[in-house]
Amino acid sequence: MRAGLNGRHTSPDQYEAGRRRVFAVAAVVLGAFLVVIGQLWFLQVLEGGRFLDASDKNRIRIRPVAAPRGILFDRHGVPLVDNRPAFTLSLIPRELERDPDRRAATLGQVAVLLGMPYGDLQDAVARVSSDSFVPVRVRRGLTLTDVAKIEERKLELPGVIVEVEPQRTYPSSRFAAHLLGYVREANDEQLKQGRYRRGDMVGQTGLERLLDEHLRGRDGGERIEVDAMGRPVRLVQQTEPHPGAEVITTIDRRIQEAAEQALEGRAGAIVVMDPRNGDVLAMASAPAFPIDRFTGTIDRDAWLAVVRDPDFPMLNRTLQTQYAPGSVFKIVVTAAGLQEGTLTPLDRIHCGGEFHLGAWTFKDWKEGGHGTVDLHRAMAQSCNIFFYQAGLKVGGAAITKYASAFGFGRITGVDLPSEKPGFLPHPKIKRGRQVWQGGEVVNMSIGQGAVLVTPMQVARFMAAVANGGVLWKPRLVQRVQSADRGILYSDPGQVMGHVDLSPVVWAFLKQSLWSVVNEGGTGAAARIPGLDVAGKTGTAQMIANSKASRGEDHAWFAAFAPSKDPEVVVVVLIERGGKGGQVAAPIARKILNAIFFEKVAAIGLTG
Amino acid sequence: MVGIDRRLLQNVDWLLLVATGGLLATSAVTLGSLSVGRAGGGLVLRQLAWVGVGALALVVIASVDYRRLVRMAPMLYVLGLVGLVTVFVLGRSVSGARRWILLGPVSVQPSELFKITFVLMIAWWLTSRWAQGLGRVTIGFVIPIMAVPFVLIVKQPDLGTALLLFPVTVALLVGAGVRFRLLGALALAGVGTLPVAWFMMKDYQRERIMVYLDPFRDPLGSAYNVIQAKIAIGSGQLLGKGIAGATQSRLAFLPERHTDFIFAVFAEMWGFVGCLVLLVCYVLLLLRGFDIAAAAREPVGRLVALGATALLGSQVLINVGMVTGLLPVVGIPLPLMSYGGSSMLVSLSALGLLLSVRMRQFQ
Repeated sequence: MRAGLNGRHTSPDQYEAGRRRVFAVAAVVLGAFLVVIGQLWFLQVLEGGRFLDASDKNRIRIRPVAAPRGILFDRHGVPLVDNRPAFTLSLIPRELERDPDRRAATLGQVAVLLGMPYGDLQDAVARVSSDSFVPVRVRRGLTLTDVAKIEERKLELPGVIVEVEPQRTYPSSRFAAHLLGYVREANDEQLKQGRYRRGDMVGQTGLERLLDEHLRGRDGGERIEVDAMGRPVRLVQQTEPHPGAEVITTIDRRIQEAAEQALEGRAGAIVVMDPRNGDVLAMASAPAFPIDRFTGTIDRDAWLAVVRDPDFPMLNRTLQTQYAPGSVFKIVVTAAGLQEGTLTPLDRIHCGGEFHLGAWTFKDWKEGGHGTVDLHRAMAQSCNIFFYQAGLKVGGAAITKYASAFGFGRITGVDLPSEKPGFLPHPKIKRGRQVWQGGEVVNMSIGQGAVLVTPMQVARFMAAVANGGVLWKPRLVQRVQSADRGILYSDPGQVMGHVDLSPVVWAFLKQSLWSVVNEGGTGAAARIPGLDVAGKTGTAQMIANSKASRGEDHAWFAAFAPSKDPEVVVVVLIERGGKGGQVAAPIARKILNAIFFEKVAAIGLTG
Repeated sequence: MVGIDRRLLQNVDWLLLVATGGLLATSAVTLGSLSVGRAGGGLVLRQLAWVGVGALALVVIASVDYRRLVRMAPMLYVLGLVGLVTVFVLGRSVSGARRWILLGPVSVQPSELFKITFVLMIAWWLTSRWAQGLGRVTIGFVIPIMAVPFVLIVKQPDLGTALLLFPVTVALLVGAGVRFRLLGALALAGVGTLPVAWFMMKDYQRERIMVYLDPFRDPLGSAYNVIQAKIAIGSGQLLGKGIAGATQSRLAFLPERHTDFIFAVFAEMWGFVGCLVLLVCYVLLLLRGFDIAAAAREPVGRLVALGATALLGSQVLINVGMVTGLLPVVGIPLPLMSYGGSSMLVSLSALGLLLSVRMRQFQ
């Protein structure tokens, strides 16, 4: 047997050698401990802060809570738009399956359940870091059935959630579409500007775009502590969303609705304005686009259908389309002539239905003419022959001077983008002198030829006629107030200019415009018993070879009432409608009726 | 020889026992803090039950003369090998590894229990009459003694436990007085077999080594453990986040936090200072072990004490090394801290061996 197992002790030499061997092992072990302690010093003391951040990033999720968009109200406090809760399908990249095949299966299942393209889902996830906990919104406006489908399979679909967000809702599908504008997710260009995050809802047109900064509000958020499985453990911090500001517009919802109803089935524009302060009470353009479908998700086909529509529903015809003013322009010629003294109310001519200037023959709209007419009658009957000659007497320079003073040829400055300025003809320059060509002046004096205006310009012009020369900047927004009623913005109204005519001239204009409606003039269709309506018809002839000449002329009617002390201006334009007196005037009548005689009933209804 | 006489009791190493008690208490508190406010409090109780079983084993082993155990070593070794083979036949598979055998209500890990047997076996062989002179023949036979269980354990697969056989063997060879030149030659041969080992490894094991070399290779997959452990440890900073603030551990970002990665939990809660105190506890324990080995008057006692100390020490170092990212991840529990019955039993048995040697050092 060997020594050790027999219990025999070793010699002192062997004992010492053994001790040294043990100490050698101990030294190695202690050295290793020093290395470990060095590593701990590095991790905990030198790099500790970085790892602390990493541990917070691990456990804290930020769940954004969308702020409700501010509401737009009409002048009486009736909402023009509202918010309702809408369901949005979102993906949380970090919580999706990590395995590419299993993730593809999840996304595939979602695609099948909702009948949406698989590629959309894939793209949405591919755009962001797979480590991100911020939900990526892939489809807005889920139906309740869709929500049920997803929620039922919640456990099979990790990382797929349904969020509830406030979404715009409208009184009707096309209500005030051009005025309000639609709200959609920020597009790539807007994202580049850096003011928006992906998935933010942004006003894209109309007032929603103009006032987006105010309407957006501030999104709130919840800082949630989660465990490793992503299950929420507790709420660490909560920031309430700050709702967007309220906007009080100048619109009267009832008049807006009446105007839109009146345009039903036609292409055209209506502007209703208060001549006392330039407030736009209604602003309708038809055809309109389905604004409710533009909010949230619109599929490509529906989008293209709207964009490619030959009637251009996206166009705001009150501002963005320019028309020849037709006989409405005769008011400008009359004002210019009377003020300059080139015309007097006593001027008479014989209207035989034709007018010759050089080799040119200009015709009246009425076969055989109006017989002998003075200025008053020429206005009421809209006699072209009279105004051809009057125009030549007044002269191109004076006409354009007064037209310009009435605000034609430049934008009105209304609070909406892409407004067109219209056009006023210029004189030719010959040998350093301005020379007007006779034919041009003749055409201009009945609102044809090169002169172009927008319905908004006509409304402001009529307002100036009604109020005695004050040219208001059309006002759409009265004020913007935060949810706690603090005023963020207010527009007291702005005078853009004055048209200085003698009081006699103003009186003559008002009187003759009253006759247009009330004394057997062309605007008789706008006559309302019990209300003094003044107005002027216009028929913008289509030039035969122009592109827009499908069918008939554009019909104008521009009116104000009551004529003594005007409260409203109504401008109606119907594209290819025919004669102003026959088509536009009855529409104006309907609107005036609604304004003055259906008010009581409406107040009863809206409480 | 069974039975404890008064002289033996006078030689009990109280410092060793105090350090052990301290570590066990720390383990209970750490495990308990992981279950505060959630289900799973039973874990601490079960751990304490195992501490009871281990303490019993400690007392029994301490009271038996270690020389008797060493004489039984060949028999125990064969029994151990049988146990390792049994795992393949009757073993319960947990996440792809067959490491456990069910014995009634408890599952036992033969590879854990084998560690003690292995220390005794090597000590026996190096001091037996056939191994006179510690020549090439003696050393040569050490290789199969180690290789057979190594292969069996690697195949379970339990790379960590298998690898542990190396430092223990080396420590015993050094302690037995093998010349360093011979050891150097052995080490070179060992390095030569590494490529072979690479091909023997399972894919996941290779992945772990790749991840060790480059942790951000797959941050959500195989490197997840390492990264989360580093975040847990590092975020503890100098003084720790306390029990309530230890979000990495308590919110389960840290995997294996009751078992192999418990050190990271402790580090997150108590910071660098706490870690220092914990490691000093282990160093005290190990220094007692080395002292007992050095003070042993005959080679068997010295080797048994040294082997037991090396077993504990290398487990502590490999575990903390892997949790702090110094070493690749191999499944090795932290002695006396990690949750796990077999590991607790083995650690306390090793301490029992140390006590046994200590109590009989003047005999």
